[in-house]
Amino acid sequence: MRKTVTDTTLDTAMTQARSKTLPWKRIGLFAAGMLALLIIPILIGNQFVSHIFVTIFIFAGLSTAWNIVGGYAGQLSLGHAIFYGIGAYAGIILMNLGISPWLGMFVGAAVSMVVAVAISYPCFRLRGPFFSLATIAFLEVFRVLALHFRELTGGATGLMIPLKFGWEWMVFRDRTPGLLIAFGMLMVALGVAWWIRSHRLGFYLVATRERESAAQAAGVSTVKVRLIAVAASAALTAMIGTFHAMYLTFIDPSSVFSLTTSIQIAMFALIGGIGTIFGPLVGALFLVPLSELARGWLGAQALGLHGFVYGIVLVLVVLFMPNGIVGLTGRFFNGKNDEKKAQAAPIAAAARASRPPIGNDILVVDHLDKHFGGLHVTRDVSLTLKEGEILGLIGPNGAGKTTVFNMISGFLKPSSGTVKVRAADGSMMMPVTPGDFAAIGVGRTFQIVQPFAAMTVEENIMVGAFHRHSDVREAREVARETAHRMGLGHYLDAEARGLTIGGLKRLEVARVMAMKPRILLLDEVMAGINQADVRRAIDLMLSIRDTGVSIIAIEHVMQAVMSLSDRVIVLSSGQIIAEGKTQDVVRDKQVIEAYLGKDFVHAEA
Amino acid sequence: MLRLEGIHAGYGPTTILHDVSLEVKRGEVVTIVGANGAGKTTTLRTIAGLIQPTEGRIFFEDRDITSTPAHEVVDLGITLIPEGRQLFADMTVEENLLMGAYRKEARSRQAETLEHVLSLFPRVRERLSQSAGSLSGGEQQMVAIARGMMARPSILMFDEPSLGLAPIIVQQVFEVIKAVTSTGTTVLIVEQNVFNTLKASDRGYVLENGEIVISDTSEALLTNDHVRQAYLGI
Amino acid sequence: METFLQVLVSGLMLGALFAIVSVGLTLIFGIVKVVNFAHGEFLMLGMYLVYLFTTKLGIHPLLTSVIVAPLLFVAGVATQRFIIQPLMSARDDHIQIFATVGLSTALINLALLLFGADIANTPASGLRTPITIGPVRVLLGQLVILAVSIMLVIGLQAFLKRTQTGRAIRAVAQNRAAAQLMGINVNRIYMLTFGIGAACVGLAASMVAPLYPTSPNIGTYFVLTAFVVVVLGGLGSLTGAFAGAMIIGLIDSFAGFYIGSDVREVVVFGMFLLILILKPSGLFSNRLSLSHVSP
Repeated sequence: MRKTVTDTTLDTAMTQARSKTLPWKRIGLFAAGMLALLIIPILIGNQFVSHIFVTIFIFAGLSTAWNIVGGYAGQLSLGHAIFYGIGAYAGIILMNLGISPWLGMFVGAAVSMVVAVAISYPCFRLRGPFFSLATIAFLEVFRVLALHFRELTGGATGLMIPLKFGWEWMVFRDRTPGLLIAFGMLMVALGVAWWIRSHRLGFYLVATRERESAAQAAGVSTVKVRLIAVAASAALTAMIGTFHAMYLTFIDPSSVFSLTTSIQIAMFALIGGIGTIFGPLVGALFLVPLSELARGWLGAQALGLHGFVYGIVLVLVVLFMPNGIVGLTGRFFNGKNDEKKAQAAPIAAAARASRPPIGNDILVVDHLDKHFGGLHVTRDVSLTLKEGEILGLIGPNGAGKTTVFNMISGFLKPSSGTVKVRAADGSMMMPVTPGDFAAIGVGRTFQIVQPFAAMTVEENIMVGAFHRHSDVREAREVARETAHRMGLGHYLDAEARGLTIGGLKRLEVARVMAMKPRILLLDEVMAGINQADVRRAIDLMLSIRDTGVSIIAIEHVMQAVMSLSDRVIVLSSGQIIAEGKTQDVVRDKQVIEAYLGKDFVHAEA
Repeated sequence: MLRLEGIHAGYGPTTILHDVSLEVKRGEVVTIVGANGAGKTTTLRTIAGLIQPTEGRIFFEDRDITSTPAHEVVDLGITLIPEGRQLFADMTVEENLLMGAYRKEARSRQAETLEHVLSLFPRVRERLSQSAGSLSGGEQQMVAIARGMMARPSILMFDEPSLGLAPIIVQQVFEVIKAVTSTGTTVLIVEQNVFNTLKASDRGYVLENGEIVISDTSEALLTNDHVRQAYLGI
Repeated sequence: METFLQVLVSGLMLGALFAIVSVGLTLIFGIVKVVNFAHGEFLMLGMYLVYLFTTKLGIHPLLTSVIVAPLLFVAGVATQRFIIQPLMSARDDHIQIFATVGLSTALINLALLLFGADIANTPASGLRTPITIGPVRVLLGQLVILAVSIMLVIGLQAFLKRTQTGRAIRAVAQNRAAAQLMGINVNRIYMLTFGIGAACVGLAASMVAPLYPTSPNIGTYFVLTAFVVVVLGGLGSLTGAFAGAMIIGLIDSFAGFYIGSDVREVVVFGMFLLILILKPSGLFSNRLSLSHVSP
């Protein structure tokens, strides 16, 4: 019952981001809500109320910025106070030099971006808790360094802002301008978050988070997109940090480079709804007043009370509503999606064009060896794929077929041997990374399907389509067209994780087809689909071949192997044991033995 | 002895088994035949309690074990030798075998069982103090079978015991399985090496797309046209 | 030379302190595969309990371990049962991370509510007696920590190697599904492990409290270093954690003396980051997606 909950995280953000044709009603509602947030404190005109709202805006903004990395990219940073602190110090230090924080803000942002990229690049190799631990360690380093370099930071005594009032200095006697600035910053953060989420970058980030290997296969430069996200997030965080320092008028290393602040920033996003656009705002709206009021009413007696409440709420939210408050309402409104998990429609009958002749070598594999320690998985595998050809790769389970695929798509580095691919311009290249392979036009599917579970069918295919179309609308067009071809047309809005195995296999093919590859590597795409569909799938493969795509297919369904392949290669225990025309190969003694055992050969002889 | 009635099961929202019913009698060797992805492994994992069926019931010696957790299923005497060996790679072979005898009934007779099992697997005896991860694939499979026998189960389930092994080793694995069945242990086996397996078993079920389509004696299945075409490639 | 020896010995003593705090963490880390961000707060709770038992009931701090360790065992079991176990199947790491981060935040602030921000000093009861061995001076309490931490590592190691339950714990760590197929109740093993891990810091608390002032944030201070130790020593390795603790203790001590006490943390955390980034093997063995690499 717990298994699936975390996956719905994106429900609402998805629905919102998906609709380029954003309903006007929703926009109106949003504008009215935001305006109310701004007007209420101004109308009340009470210092304390204004303070609460400024705090809400600031933390909602910080949390929204964090969410770009922590939510969309799934990199759980607990060191975001670093950027907040850099912004704060940049603002005050420059102000002491007579430079306006409006400028200082951008200096802080620029420094933060550099720091963020430098810190994150090596840390992306770390998973889950290790990434979090590394960010905490960096935060500690910054705090200690800030304490150490007294000339710059004032050390433990901290820094006070010079008393210069007015818009120019971002410092006011009155609360209202502060409210306006904090609100403006929140709007900027929301705007950036919304923009990222609704463009290719956002799709790439979520895809990378969901299945890094599948994203790479779709041509996503997973490191680059995450670095962009981190840089944007850090810059926003620093800018808000600058303003907050002006608002507080005093900073010191332990209060700005603080783990508690880092945790709070992340906490608001989680409680509101991690990975959603409005989750962080909702989280801050709920929690900030709670703690500020508790502090206001109970005063010093309640030292620790608000932190205690935060902690308990966080644990409860994680346990009982891991999608946060927004997730809860999202599930309520989008409930209907979950019921749509029927079998996919038949694969569309494919119109066959005339077959182009088989051309030059397009993929040349020489002497591939792979061993893990002493265990040889493949030995001396050499094969050649020609343009417009379908090559069948068969062999018993565990023969090393998928390992070969991993090596000819950049996912596994061969222990020795080479893989050459002919580029579109005719030259032979030696791609290395999955990104290189994707760029040169090699598309692959995974035997164990790798859907982006939290995305819809359409969005899954769009990730493939973005490989050739950077525009969201174009990518959506291509995705829809591909989905219809693959018989997934009715399920565009269904979440990928609701599909049957057969549906997921098709999704896998649809995603790679949307990339418009020149070479297609298909790993057991027929497994688990019914007999009628096998026939249609065969026709579809043939029609893909007729458009000039070269295919290598690992397949167990013999019917498919027989009618598809121009040639067949048989792999057994990591070695090629037979190669040639399909009909000849299946009669080969060695092949029958590999599949059925020696006894069988004797018994039938 | 073991009976499945109308089992529906799968992973998360994905249903793999549709209305599977089958039966294994005491002392029988029963095979499940089917293509990749037909649901053979899912069937065994459901019996073992690793997957909860969404519908249907499972009985073992007339006791309903449908919602019994995996570790209790083992206590009752049902042991699964999983696909891909799943040894404790950093533990020694001996420690692996001792873990096999974790079940209450087996623990007290641990030494005796170990002696008996090692007499069946002389190769394993030679490797007792090595770490399981350092063995070859074939040796690991032997250890996995030996570990399964350490539980002194009333029914032993094999999931693809020959998977990923060289043909020569496959022959050895089958000899071992024959030795196990000759001791009178009840066996349920899933195997891609259809011919050899049916030869060694009493009855068989054919599973396609998560449904049982044929159920017959092994001899009859070996001559069944559908089986010959679909799984023996003739 | 004498100074060098003194710094060396101080480093080893500090190392023993880190070791005794880290042992439980690495156990939970390695077996339950959960990073317990609240581990330091367990220590903090333990130290307050020691403080209460010594000041209110007049029990010798070392003797309080007989009560404090079992109490923390129960706290650990409860944490696993009610917070971690429901989240074990969660696909995303962030769920588990936030659960323990939330617990940590709640516990720190609970201590703040109950005891205030002021420091609580547990009576030293003779444990701060300096002992002079040749040219170096150590505190009696530090020697006790060294002795107990060594015994703890040896004892736990023996437990994991020689007993059926210990082997079952290792089996669960190596292959959860296979362990289930052996008839091991995996959830119970996790609770037991979490309990033992928490009890270890309970034991540590009774020795740390007399030497260090107790405050709500004391846990954070120790646990960050403990994480460094655990990662350095290798996930779940008890002897590794012990060795790692000694290395960190020495680095801390030497860096503090020769570079400057205000930046020694930079050296320690800098090393931590280097290890995390440069020696990632074995660090994420349980989370690495191998699904596309089938042999």
